[in-house]
Amino acid sequence: MLTLTSPVETRAHRVPAGLKLAGLAVATTGLVQMHGAAVGGVLAGVVVLYLALGPAFARHGLAMLRPLWPFLLVLALWHGWTGDWARGAEIAGKMLAAVALANLVTMTTRLDDLIAVVERLARPLARLGLDPRVMAVAIALALRFTPVLFWRTGQLMEAWRARSARRPGWRVVLPAVLLALDDADHVAEALRARGGL
Amino acid sequence: MDISGIRLSGACYAPAGKAVLSDISLTLDEPRIGIVGRNGSGKTTLLRLMAGLVRPTAGIVRVGGLDPAADRKAMLGRIGILFQNPDHQIIFPTVEEELAFGLRQQGRAEAEARALARDLLARQGRAHWAGAAVQTLSQGQRQWLCLMAVLAMDPATILLDEPFAALDLPSAARLARRLDGLPQQVVIVSHDPRVLERMDRVLWLEGGRLVADGPAAQVLRAFRAEMDRLGEADADTDLAG
Amino acid sequence: MERTVTHVALFAALIAVLGLVPKIDLMAGVPITAQSLGIMLCGTVLGARRGALAVLLFLLLVAVGLPLLAGGRGGLGVFVGPSAGFLIGFPVAAFVAGLVVERWRVPVGPAAFAGAVLGGIVVLYAFGIPGMALVLGKTLPEAALLATPFLAGDLIKAGLAAVITAGLANVRPGALLSRN
Repeated sequence: MLTLTSPVETRAHRVPAGLKLAGLAVATTGLVQMHGAAVGGVLAGVVVLYLALGPAFARHGLAMLRPLWPFLLVLALWHGWTGDWARGAEIAGKMLAAVALANLVTMTTRLDDLIAVVERLARPLARLGLDPRVMAVAIALALRFTPVLFWRTGQLMEAWRARSARRPGWRVVLPAVLLALDDADHVAEALRARGGL
Repeated sequence: MDISGIRLSGACYAPAGKAVLSDISLTLDEPRIGIVGRNGSGKTTLLRLMAGLVRPTAGIVRVGGLDPAADRKAMLGRIGILFQNPDHQIIFPTVEEELAFGLRQQGRAEAEARALARDLLARQGRAHWAGAAVQTLSQGQRQWLCLMAVLAMDPATILLDEPFAALDLPSAARLARRLDGLPQQVVIVSHDPRVLERMDRVLWLEGGRLVADGPAAQVLRAFRAEMDRLGEADADTDLAG
Repeated sequence: MERTVTHVALFAALIAVLGLVPKIDLMAGVPITAQSLGIMLCGTVLGARRGALAVLLFLLLVAVGLPLLAGGRGGLGVFVGPSAGFLIGFPVAAFVAGLVVERWRVPVGPAAFAGAVLGGIVVLYAFGIPGMALVLGKTLPEAALLATPFLAGDLIKAGLAAVITAGLANVRPGALLSRN
């Protein structure tokens, strides 16, 4: 499946995933407590970090921030109205820096490495009854069946359009749920056929 | 010849009181066995009973003297089953993980299972498949992967449910050749008599009951005659249940 | 055991698909994402425990970098953004929706609607609004004001969740794990 890991291989890709995640946690916690010019400094630092990894990478990083624009718009309108621009800029800066830093880890860490970290972190949960092997199978199954279910839901919508001039609406959701339930039964059987969990 | 020896006596399967299979008694020792019947005749359910995926609601199913539904661990090396739809069978997103899973289930360590899986692929001239995403494989390739995943576990018997139904002609020919060469006992379910012609023995199921059992030529001739007769009559109005 | 795991995994995939399927118009001309409908359905169909686990698995996949949130978003960034509270509330929302359907023994439709409203709106907003307040530097009432435009859409989704869950109970009664 397509992941958000950047195909542009950078130096940051080679930093161990655990280290990057720990760094992210520290940076985000620090960021929350910052005020005024310090926020601007961090944001500038993040920009430099992205640019240091190459212009193509930085462009990709900017695109990853696009979903934030409605919130930036809200902040601009709000603080434009109250006249407290400095406060608005600080909030926007914190938000952009935090999301960009987190995206940086996502963009420079392979899926397998992140899953390995998750499995390592989940190991203590074994004592609470969460078998790490079961979790690994659940992750693999979800990865495998997201594209399958996506494709089949697309087929349902196509079958709908073949017989209707109207666009398929929410009515495809019930058959999609049935597909998921049926697949779950079949795969449970496939797991049992090969020894179960 | 020492084969797993599948034995059913008086086996019935009637979930919620609706009979899918009724009173099946069989001993299956031949190396190549076909099960023929129309859609809904209970063929797939019979395979699932043999594989221990469902329990008979009455009667007994034994594989090598063991109850396949109870002794799942022992069955891993006894019986492998290939579902009709590979997408119902493939559990993992990549080829290597899929092949390694069964080996892990048989008690091998992760690294060893992975190595064996890659080795298996290399021996089939498909080393480059290891990291491939399963949804990029064609239907025939996915079925090949399912078969490999089953063979990797080296079961004594392989059950196949309509293995040729979704394959184009070259893929079907390749699969037939592949099955011919297997040392295992092979049981194939099909609605199409053509794919069962070379079996040692053919069973014919109708409405959940065994209506014929014998050499392929004889059973399939009777089956064809009956299918032709039904095809002439223009009625398919009965609802199941 | 196997069925629990496969249900959890397949419904995690279902949430993703409902977010990605382009242009499911819930109402004529108003393309709202069906993703939170997926969260509600996890609870009302699978029940509290499995439903919450399915949502957790979905969030895990988002966190490790899969673009499965509506609009192709994903990665760690979304967990520090303004919508983070809603994401954190997702599993609790599914749990509460499931709990209502499991415990409140009225016909499936009304129970599912109550569960979807309580879990998918009340509980979800209880997580989402403080999250927005925190990231956008607003007070709780101010953040609540920012969230109100979504209320109408979410009420429609709760209605759809009820219709779909009741429909499922109708065509496949055994499949409704929240009632079995």
